[in-house]
Amino acid sequence: MSGNSHENHHHVSTAGQLWAVGTALLILTIITVVLAKFVTIPAPFDIITAISIAVVKAGLVAAFFMNLYWDTKFNAMLLLMAVAFFMLMVLITLLDTLYRVDVVPSF
Amino acid sequence: MANHSTSHPTHVQHHFVDADQQFDSAKMGMWVFLVNEILFFGGLFCAYIVYRSWYPELFTEAALELNTFWGAVNTVVLIGSSLTVAMAIRSVQKDQIKGLKINLLITIALAIVFMVIKGFEYSHKFHLGIFPGEFYTFEGLEHAKAPIFFSIYYMLTGVHALHVLIGIGLIYWIYRRAVRGDFSSEYYTPVEITGLYWHLVDLIWIFLFPLLYLIE
Amino acid sequence: MATAEVSNTKTLKVKRFKPSEDPKSTFLTEEKGLWAWLTTVDHKKIGLMYLGSVTFFFLLGGILALLLRTELLTPAKTFIEADTYNQFFTLHGAIMVFFVLVPSIPAALGNFVLPMQLGAKDVAFPRLNLASFYIYVIGAIFTFIALANNGLDTGWTFYTPYSTDSSSSVIWVTLGVFILGFSSILTGTNFITTIHKMRAPGITWGKLPLNIWALYATSIIQVLATPVLAITLLLLTMERFLGIGIFDPAMGGDPVLFQHFFWFYSHPAVYIMIVPGFGIISEVITTFSKKHIFGYWAIALSSLAIAFIGFLVWGHHMFTSGQSAVATTVFSFLTFLVGIPTGIKILNWVATLYKGSIEMKTPMLYVFIFLFLFSIGGFTGIMLGSLAADIHLHDTYYVVAHFHYVMMGGTLIALLAGLHYWWPKMTGKMYNEFQAKIGAALIFIGFNMTFLPQFIMGSQGMPRRYYNYIDQFTIFHQTSTIGSYILGVGFLLIAFYLLRSLFSGEKAGSNPWGSRGLEWQATSPPDLHNFDHTPVIINGPYDYHKPMEEFQLGLADVHHNGHEPSHAAKAAAEEVTN
Ligand code: HEM
Ligand SMILES: [Cu+2]
Repeated sequence: MSGNSHENHHHVSTAGQLWAVGTALLILTIITVVLAKFVTIPAPFDIITAISIAVVKAGLVAAFFMNLYWDTKFNAMLLLMAVAFFMLMVLITLLDTLYRVDVVPSF
Repeated sequence: MANHSTSHPTHVQHHFVDADQQFDSAKMGMWVFLVNEILFFGGLFCAYIVYRSWYPELFTEAALELNTFWGAVNTVVLIGSSLTVAMAIRSVQKDQIKGLKINLLITIALAIVFMVIKGFEYSHKFHLGIFPGEFYTFEGLEHAKAPIFFSIYYMLTGVHALHVLIGIGLIYWIYRRAVRGDFSSEYYTPVEITGLYWHLVDLIWIFLFPLLYLIE
Repeated sequence: MATAEVSNTKTLKVKRFKPSEDPKSTFLTEEKGLWAWLTTVDHKKIGLMYLGSVTFFFLLGGILALLLRTELLTPAKTFIEADTYNQFFTLHGAIMVFFVLVPSIPAALGNFVLPMQLGAKDVAFPRLNLASFYIYVIGAIFTFIALANNGLDTGWTFYTPYSTDSSSSVIWVTLGVFILGFSSILTGTNFITTIHKMRAPGITWGKLPLNIWALYATSIIQVLATPVLAITLLLLTMERFLGIGIFDPAMGGDPVLFQHFFWFYSHPAVYIMIVPGFGIISEVITTFSKKHIFGYWAIALSSLAIAFIGFLVWGHHMFTSGQSAVATTVFSFLTFLVGIPTGIKILNWVATLYKGSIEMKTPMLYVFIFLFLFSIGGFTGIMLGSLAADIHLHDTYYVVAHFHYVMMGGTLIALLAGLHYWWPKMTGKMYNEFQAKIGAALIFIGFNMTFLPQFIMGSQGMPRRYYNYIDQFTIFHQTSTIGSYILGVGFLLIAFYLLRSLFSGEKAGSNPWGSRGLEWQATSPPDLHNFDHTPVIINGPYDYHKPMEEFQLGLADVHHNGHEPSHAAKAAAEEVTN
């Protein structure tokens, strides 16, 4: 019933692939530290770059270490669903917290 | 469904039709569990985002108290451990049980390094009087809400560290089972799903690092 | 023998397996004894253990409710102190929500029927299933510790800042509920995986019973929402241990943020409670109308729609909390949207009844009660969702009446419908139909007497959670109290005849209601492995227009489910499949 063929799931990555991903993660880490510490990026963009790099790193881990790239689409969908609901939680909460008259209502 | 099972090996539990069904189920179950983990941390990230949107200056000032160097080292350590876990799975898929065991041990070692560094960071802060919330006595920060920043910091890193500890336990358990000879390329489901868990711990840290350490 | 086209790639050879009406060995006769029960991984036994625990907590919560209602007989003190009153309503609410309604349908009835409706031998992770039962028990123990130590008086919502200051044992209960959350998460995880991976040959998504769709939607909510409750309660616990201040206004924190977190779980949680009820209603209504369900996909997908929209509306509990006007308006709008999929369901059920041959057996009686009560609950929910009205009605008895109409009139009545429907399957015994109908009548009358007056009081301004009230409300409160006694009698009667049926009930056949559902194609009570063949499905679970010959089918060649087929049989099976 699982619908996916035999080859789909026991994908064996080559050692080269794994090392390549590990190295890419390392380089991205260095880039993000350098950008944050030694380059001054104007206000909203510093955080945007930092988070974008983190997203790329996370994507690499999910796709190649967690094997989502070769796995059934459903598992990738689960991950995306988790992220989507997290974003919903944040965005809707911000709808309140960003538009209050008093930031912290006094009681 | 019944057509690609030629034998019913011992590691297949009786309610599954075959090993593939069992493997896929376990993996999917783990993914569903990871969804839950993401939302668990999600609550904390949400608190972070809300407070950061209220007091951006607090976050940039307070981040100065965090040591970027050690944060970066820990990032590298965790990435390395993710790599070794992936290598461990590759080893067992190729029936290289020795490689499996070595990779698991390296992973545990890296996880311990992570915890030790974390421990130093914490004790340094305690030394300065940077405790969470009420117990906060540090005087180097002007901002009235500084204790709340550190509450969020301790909750995020603390819950993450707890996950690392649990991960160490799990990987050790997998290691023991590997020693006992439980795994082969035919059956390595527990290795695979523990690996997924460990990568998630890494994923969370990939976001924690820039959010907490890289924001001045 | 016949051949069945179960999918476009495989042809399976099937034959008919008529369930024995007098099974020699069932899950109740095998693996007997206390120890075998406590260590069982059989989903049916675990389901029954949950049922037992849920019943126990329901009794506890019910007694608390009757005590509360008794106190409210007179405007001033009747027999307990105000502090005790606060503790009672808190425990009543917490127990009923977290220990009864959340686990009731999925973990008790769902555990029992889900694998059977899928034609599986068990859930995907049987040991995890047992673990989640024990996690539930541990959560319960924590709550009892709290009971023994100061109790709890924060209300089931644990709002800060009171919950950070209260001298009652908040920590024990929050930890208890935290632990309980994991039980709920694990059950959800288990169900999602089971539904995806363990379906018998022929059960496509379009042939899943609607009960399964409902449990699927519920499980998704459990997995997505419960962790947020967990982290919220962890933060609250830390707030009390370490004074972290995130939610504490005295330290510059924000109590409204707590409410956001809490309701991000707890609004979806009301759907965790009601959606499985929807599933039961769909099953029962078709069985007793002997008719295909009207709008299969509409009902199936509206469960998912409710699950999704349910995540977007939590702020309707916070209209008066100091939340921003923008958020309030958006939440109010989104709240109205939930009414749409809910309405779709109700209309489809009613359309199913149309021209059906309706048989007024007890489960069906409960379905009608459900339709009546839940509609009232739903409509009043919509009214509360409109901003202007809610400013007036918030925190009054109107809200209390609303949520009792949905939680008790909806979920609990659906649970009773399901219990009466599957009782013969679970126990192999029939209950006394006449007494059951009296019971249903008592429940219906008692319920309306208890909660209708609360709408009136609420709209006239009677606040909720108050120990005293002004004389003007006396008549409503007294009616309500008497109604609650009638309810109590109703439940006692139900307990009485159900228990009696175990000893002296008539034997139930394998399919006493003439249902087409897969769970009714097993013996009553079922075999330890549910079926002793691998079921194969050609027709949907509601195909009452198809002859019975096309049901009760199983793989012809593999003899014994649960036991190894001989290699020869396997080989033969393989030949047939290709
Ligand atoms: C059509 C669907 C529904 C709508 C539009 C709706 C709307 C609302 C609103 C606006 C409130 C807040 C009232 C206030 O505090 O001022 C509320 C409270 C509540 N609702 Fe509903 N509701 C719906 C269905 C349900 C269902 C199905 C359940 C449970 C099974 C439920 C359980 C509750 C509970 C427990 C509360 C009170 C929580 C508390 O403050 O203690 N509701 N509802
Ligand atoms: Cu709500």
